[in-house]
Amino acid sequence: MAVKPECIAMLLAGGQGSRLGILTKNIAKPAVPYGGKYRIIDFPLSNCVNSGIYTVGVLTQYQPLELNDYIGNGRPWDLDRANGGVHILSPYQQIKGTEWYKGTANAIYQNINFIERYDPEYVLILSGDHIYKMDYSKMLDYHKEKNADCTIAMLEVSWEEASRFGLMIVNEDGSISEFEEKPKNPRSNKASMGVYIFNWKKLRKYLIEDEAKEGSGNDFGHDVIPAMHAAGERMFAYQFDGYWKDVGTISSLWDANLDLLNPKVDLDLNDDSWRIYSRSPAAPPHYVGTDAVVENSMITEGCEINGKIDFSVLFANVTVEEGAEVKYSIVMPGTVIKKGAVVQYSIVAENAVIEEGAVVGESPENMKNIEDWGVAVIGNGVKIGKGAKIAPDTMTDSDVGGAE
Amino acid sequence: MSAKKVLGIIFSNAYDEALPQLTALRTMGSVPFAARYRLIDFPLSNMVNSGVPQVGVITKSNYRSLMDHIGTGKPWDLSRKREGMTLLPPYDTPGAGITIGKADALYGCIDYISDSQKEHVLLVDCNVVCSMDYSKLIKAHTANDADITIAYANGEPPVINGGTELVMDENGRVTATRLIDCYSGSTCYSLKVMIIRRTLLERLLHEAHSAKIVDIETMISKNIGHLRVYGYEEKGFVRVLNSLQSYYDISLELLKAENRKELFSADRPVYTKVRDQVPAVYGIGANVKNSLIADGCHIYGEVENCILFRGVTVEKGAKIKDSIIMQDTFVGENSNLSCVIIDKSAVVKPNKTLCGDSSYPVYIGKGIVI
Repeated sequence: MAVKPECIAMLLAGGQGSRLGILTKNIAKPAVPYGGKYRIIDFPLSNCVNSGIYTVGVLTQYQPLELNDYIGNGRPWDLDRANGGVHILSPYQQIKGTEWYKGTANAIYQNINFIERYDPEYVLILSGDHIYKMDYSKMLDYHKEKNADCTIAMLEVSWEEASRFGLMIVNEDGSISEFEEKPKNPRSNKASMGVYIFNWKKLRKYLIEDEAKEGSGNDFGHDVIPAMHAAGERMFAYQFDGYWKDVGTISSLWDANLDLLNPKVDLDLNDDSWRIYSRSPAAPPHYVGTDAVVENSMITEGCEINGKIDFSVLFANVTVEEGAEVKYSIVMPGTVIKKGAVVQYSIVAENAVIEEGAVVGESPENMKNIEDWGVAVIGNGVKIGKGAKIAPDTMTDSDVGGAE
Repeated sequence: MSAKKVLGIIFSNAYDEALPQLTALRTMGSVPFAARYRLIDFPLSNMVNSGVPQVGVITKSNYRSLMDHIGTGKPWDLSRKREGMTLLPPYDTPGAGITIGKADALYGCIDYISDSQKEHVLLVDCNVVCSMDYSKLIKAHTANDADITIAYANGEPPVINGGTELVMDENGRVTATRLIDCYSGSTCYSLKVMIIRRTLLERLLHEAHSAKIVDIETMISKNIGHLRVYGYEEKGFVRVLNSLQSYYDISLELLKAENRKELFSADRPVYTKVRDQVPAVYGIGANVKNSLIADGCHIYGEVENCILFRGVTVEKGAKIKDSIIMQDTFVGENSNLSCVIIDKSAVVKPNKTLCGDSSYPVYIGKGIVI
């Protein structure tokens, strides 16, 4: 092999994201579309390339077809390389038997041979579920400076939310004194982002030990990291401040998209020095018609807009006909919204058809009981018939007939 | 015959002189068009969509921006081990100057042409905007057992250097070619898209070279009596760029849905270099009507009947009408623009007014600050 990489990344992309319901029926969570032209996985992948990490293993398990197709040879991220580049790593048959990836640590354990081929000093473990821009090379510098065995990226979250995260109690020098996994009464608001750097030789040893341990969940957060901590390895926390969002639920996915329309949110996708790359379709420029009204929105190439758009994110090749209205909504590629239809406070997946006069979702102000309000979701390829009404906080996964 | 047996040749520099403003710094092929493309994207994509596997791009001068755009041909899927796209820089043999005609340019890469071992060679220019299925032209060429088949359109011909009218018999066989003058009226004019047997092309090029003939039209018309030359009518959306005015008019024609449908049909995508920009952002108070907008634009002002290329910013209170604004240009607050063509990376500072007329659009050069 040519020049040996100092650090390689392993990206865990096997998650189902079950709380995203019908949006992840046929695709893994990292393949969920976001921000008009991206998929969630574009963020960690682009971060890797922008940080100078050009060898990335992508571990897939749940519904990998679309993800495999999307990543392809890695060209859009400049990861089609003679040495390294992006590799899709699925569970495979071995002489001692065949296993699915049992947990995050087991997924890496099953790919020890892949990592050994590159023989790196350090391994960066990432998750394909988060939206953030982060320079991993700075984290690696920190890891080296602290002479750490393991560095965990952490983020200060609000105290109310803290109990949803794995938390760390951090000493003044940045070393970690204690871990708390989703505690009821948090003593810290420093949450783990699921981004780890390990010295590979150390990690390898702990992965093998963890695998041999009866009853281990083979998970980084629950098993491997506590084991390393207990054995007195040098564990450090690396503070990240910036936008970071786990788009694990429908409402967080909706929020994260609309965050792009908020100039106060610290997620600049226009930054030339830190571009987020994606595989984009060859679509012509979008067209805004004579009677269209478009405000506070993001519109992607290939769209034909003749209706009214407000506070929404439209993906490529969406058609909005005359008199139709889209507000506070996310509309994914290829969807058609016909004359006079209203799509509000909704997420509409790819290639859906909203027929004339149909109404999808409801504005929270019009709810008798705000507890019943939520984002309405229309599944992939679903057709909503003429004049039909789709209630808020519902998921519609099959065609709905017209209201004749 | 399959398109696999055809070598495509694209002239990136032909008719540069027709658009002197836009080609001052670049080739005709790299002139920005339709909000996110360069003119060469159309013939290149047509080649790919028609199944032509090998394409040579002939250049003459100022081709840095073209190289930057087409690279190794990856966006068109033409970056291949075998065949694919090849950039053909000017070939300067002792005694020969810079090429001046298309026949001359072809003679300069005659080795590339004969090495291809293809049966036929398809020649196209970059100033013809269309989504043309060359495989139909190839089919007609084979069906007529023709030596040469020239695509033509029927209508008011564009006035352009070397513009040619085809005179055909009832079978579509070309009996004569005539130069078009401004009084020609509606006619069958050549689109300069033509397919020709490779071995014949090589022979004609050798003859033309020794006779010091530099352009293809003369080369063909001299031989029209003893060659089987046929016409092929292209009925779709085809426009020939022959002046800044035509660039302006044809660009704005794309605001009509029926024209877009023909040029950008979903089964014949037009490929271009990817720029990885965010979708266009519309701010509060943005007011956009009847316009084509590319990714990466930031719009806070008023835009009507316009074409905005990638990365254009329109600030609050700015009003732009009937204009074409190219890549990364910035239009400041309360500026007022109408009937202008602004090249790449220009800056219009706040409170400026610039007006052209739809019959005489004002052109602002690349990087100019106003």
